[in-house]
Amino acid sequence: MSIPNFIIPDLLLLLFPFIVIGSRLFCDAKSNVPWRIANIGFLLIFMLLNFIPLAGGEGRFFICNWRVDDFGVFMREVLVVSAILGMWFSKDYFMHAAAGKPQMHQIAEFIGAIAFATFGGVTVVSACDTITFFLGLEIATIPMYALTAWNKRDQLGSEAATKYILMGSVATAFELFGFSYLYGFAGSLHFDAIQSAVAAGTSPLLWIAVLFLFCGIGFKLTLFPFYTWAPDVYEGAPTPVTAVLSVTSKATAIAFLVVLVYGPLAPVQEQIAPLIALLAGVTLFVGNLGALKQYRLRRFMAYSSIAQAGYIMVALLGTAAMAKTAIIYYLFVYAVSNYLAFFVFGIIGHHREEIFDSLRGLSKQNPSLAIALAISMFSLAGIPPLAGFFGKFHLFFSGATTGHYMLIAFAVLNNVLALFYYLQLVKSAWVDEPDGHLNPLRLTRRQRGVIILLSCAVVVLGFLPFLSDNIFMGFSGF
Amino acid sequence: METLLFNLIWVIPLLTVLACIPIPSTCERALRAVHTASVSFVLLIVCVLTYRVFALGAAPADPASTPFALRFFTDIPWLSAFNAHYIVGADGLNMLLLALTAFIVWAGVLVSYKIKGNQKVFFALIQLLATSVYGVYMSFDLVLFFVFYEMEALCMYLMIACYGSGRRDYGGKKLTLTLAFGSSMILATLFGLYFESGTGSWSLMEISKVTLPMDFQMWAFPLMFMGFAVSSSLFPFHFWSPDGHSAAPTAVSMLAAGVMMKMGAYGCLRFAMFLMPEAAKIWLPYVVALLIFNVVLGPFIAIRHKDLKYITAYSSISHLGLIFLGLAALTPVGLRGASLQMISHGFLTGLFFATIGMIYERTHTRDITEMGGIMKKMPFLGVGFVIAGFAGLGLPGFSGFIAESTIFIGAFQQDSTLTRIVTVLAILSITTTAVYILQTANRMLHGPMPAKFQTLTDGCFREKLVIVVLVFCLLLIGIFPGPFADMLDLSIAPIFNRF
Repeated sequence: MSIPNFIIPDLLLLLFPFIVIGSRLFCDAKSNVPWRIANIGFLLIFMLLNFIPLAGGEGRFFICNWRVDDFGVFMREVLVVSAILGMWFSKDYFMHAAAGKPQMHQIAEFIGAIAFATFGGVTVVSACDTITFFLGLEIATIPMYALTAWNKRDQLGSEAATKYILMGSVATAFELFGFSYLYGFAGSLHFDAIQSAVAAGTSPLLWIAVLFLFCGIGFKLTLFPFYTWAPDVYEGAPTPVTAVLSVTSKATAIAFLVVLVYGPLAPVQEQIAPLIALLAGVTLFVGNLGALKQYRLRRFMAYSSIAQAGYIMVALLGTAAMAKTAIIYYLFVYAVSNYLAFFVFGIIGHHREEIFDSLRGLSKQNPSLAIALAISMFSLAGIPPLAGFFGKFHLFFSGATTGHYMLIAFAVLNNVLALFYYLQLVKSAWVDEPDGHLNPLRLTRRQRGVIILLSCAVVVLGFLPFLSDNIFMGFSGF
Repeated sequence: METLLFNLIWVIPLLTVLACIPIPSTCERALRAVHTASVSFVLLIVCVLTYRVFALGAAPADPASTPFALRFFTDIPWLSAFNAHYIVGADGLNMLLLALTAFIVWAGVLVSYKIKGNQKVFFALIQLLATSVYGVYMSFDLVLFFVFYEMEALCMYLMIACYGSGRRDYGGKKLTLTLAFGSSMILATLFGLYFESGTGSWSLMEISKVTLPMDFQMWAFPLMFMGFAVSSSLFPFHFWSPDGHSAAPTAVSMLAAGVMMKMGAYGCLRFAMFLMPEAAKIWLPYVVALLIFNVVLGPFIAIRHKDLKYITAYSSISHLGLIFLGLAALTPVGLRGASLQMISHGFLTGLFFATIGMIYERTHTRDITEMGGIMKKMPFLGVGFVIAGFAGLGLPGFSGFIAESTIFIGAFQQDSTLTRIVTVLAILSITTTAVYILQTANRMLHGPMPAKFQTLTDGCFREKLVIVVLVFCLLLIGIFPGPFADMLDLSIAPIFNRF
């Protein structure tokens, strides 16, 4: 294994946003070239990532501050898949933007920002010391602030962005505080040194650091009680940004926790398990409860994704290999299901207001959209044989490896609550009679193609074992 | 070859759905033809395989499937992340239930020719539902089983809410969410079974080789048993069934009451009682106490109802109560009776809902006070309904008599005062059953006929065929129960031996 090859995708990912944004200088306003470059670039990176051999080992670069291990490679793939879907989605958004909204030529900056956020996520999973780690988290977050405020004339968008920046800054302050205490405790910034210091013995300093770190990341991952910004931001941001926010940001935040819990904090995982279990249980309950009464599509999805964050936390209780398998697999299926849902909402949003009533009669007028919507909702609700069920099964399995049956029983019961509100949405599309006042929906061939592709992915990724087996094999070193 | 055919049972419905995707939804005749051909083919396969299982009798089976003697045994690794396997096989019990399912699905497709709405989606959902039910009865791996078991929720809600009548959204949600509640209890215990058994396997056969710790069994058994009992509408989880059935379209009522409610009882027997026999002995007497509601009060509630589907739903609740009485008796005769009742009641309730659906299609009401004199205009459907009613109250000659009397004998054999009291009450409740069935038949079929019913016609050939086939099945089990009982005894023995 030749070490330099490992890092090529990372370098490409770093260069890539500059290339995409720079390409705009050399082509006219209506040109499609930046979008094509972005497509080719991301697909190339995704292919290169697939060639990295997984042998259970890890490669380290740049004075041991940058590593490429199994988890990192899979996380890169999740983030790149999310970026590709987000990119397709933003094309759709810019194509249909009405007068007074951003036009096609701005897509280069838009995709560039997504690419920066992706690189930030990659930095988080590659970091070996707290400074790089922190930088990665910020690189992943700051482009999202800009994207949220993309429509500068849109009041809701500006409000959302302001809220997001304020909340995000507080979260950042918490994290920095936590990291400084961690440094004070261990006397080193490097993860290996921190891990051995934690293994050697604990002190109140460590617990304060852990608490602050969890608070900080709680904002980003929308954990209880720091989830309140999510519904407003999800509603105010442009639809593709909401989708990217709900997948890339969440993936980055959960990767942060995985790196932390199975890295520097691994020796005390058992002690912090009650904290994780509590956060998981309360978050998924609150998310589910909040979603019950929503009638605006994106607020609804915000609460749904809060609940999903709670489910993901359940996996963090398990053993390292199982938790990592579960989280990676779940992020894949969550990304696909969520993008499918947002894609359908986006199409509806081009023509109608984004509320439940806009879905009325969808099954009669656009059966393919209604089927896609039902598939994504049932997948998010965790109904087999769709991918979402197997994702949740992985998460619960991981939690069960350490015997947290009570939490799993609670999470599983919450699923019934979740099923209720997902059914509400399916009901709007399938049962309610068509409303003559609604604008008709028109699907372009590209939109139809993306919807069919994502729907098939949601159906097939579940019961066909290749994805979960590949991930599992990667971690068990076959 | 036979193993391949056996695995095709659940694959064919899925392939049919895929094959129908290119057919435009306006070509309803073509869609119906494809689906009818598909379900008839599956029915044929299942009948042939059922005969094979019967003919093989007690012949030695694949040793990998001990303690069961499973025919057509297949074991393929599936999801390596948590060592789930694709394990399917057939013994007498699940083969007969598969046959029941095939008959009901076939009948369900035939009675749905005139369903309003998008027929393409409706038939696709029926086939998906069929896949899930076949899969539940076939699988011997807990993950595989659960995937199929939970799949029903996806189809049930859409079918009831989009194609049902009355309070369809309410009924559909109530049914789906209650069933999801039940399966969430099951899912929680599945993880427990996997990790507490320490076998690292989800296979029923592997887990049964270890004795599970008693404190685990004590909480897991009631959770799992009640989780399954939700779908068999055991008190206090019976409330979904009347609303769900009455809102559902005919075919869905038939499938839900005929085969899906049996999945719960089957799960109680095959999974909960088989895997945790020690806790079962302690907990089952409490189940007997719950049965007083199902068996004794169910028929009384049915008397007061005016809606045909509500009456049938409460009658189903009381009949399913008898299955649990047989299970809780914990005698070989009781278990045999319980499994006979699962099959017998499937055909019975299928016939019930089929005739009700056909009558409703014509009269557009299910309120028995608004009906009358139906026998004059629809003698065939009327007779079909009366036969279903008589079979339901356990008339000798029909399968219901055989199954119920076996249950009563089995339950009385158990040396427990409570069980005996409940058995006596259950026997007495047959009188109540007779009251509501005769009263309903009388009000609906005889007496003065409302003027608006003058133009109604009797069933067409397709509908008559459904009724004749279902009545034939009821009579077959009723007159020649021997072969069926033999098949069931062979497959119950490994379960009973654990007690």
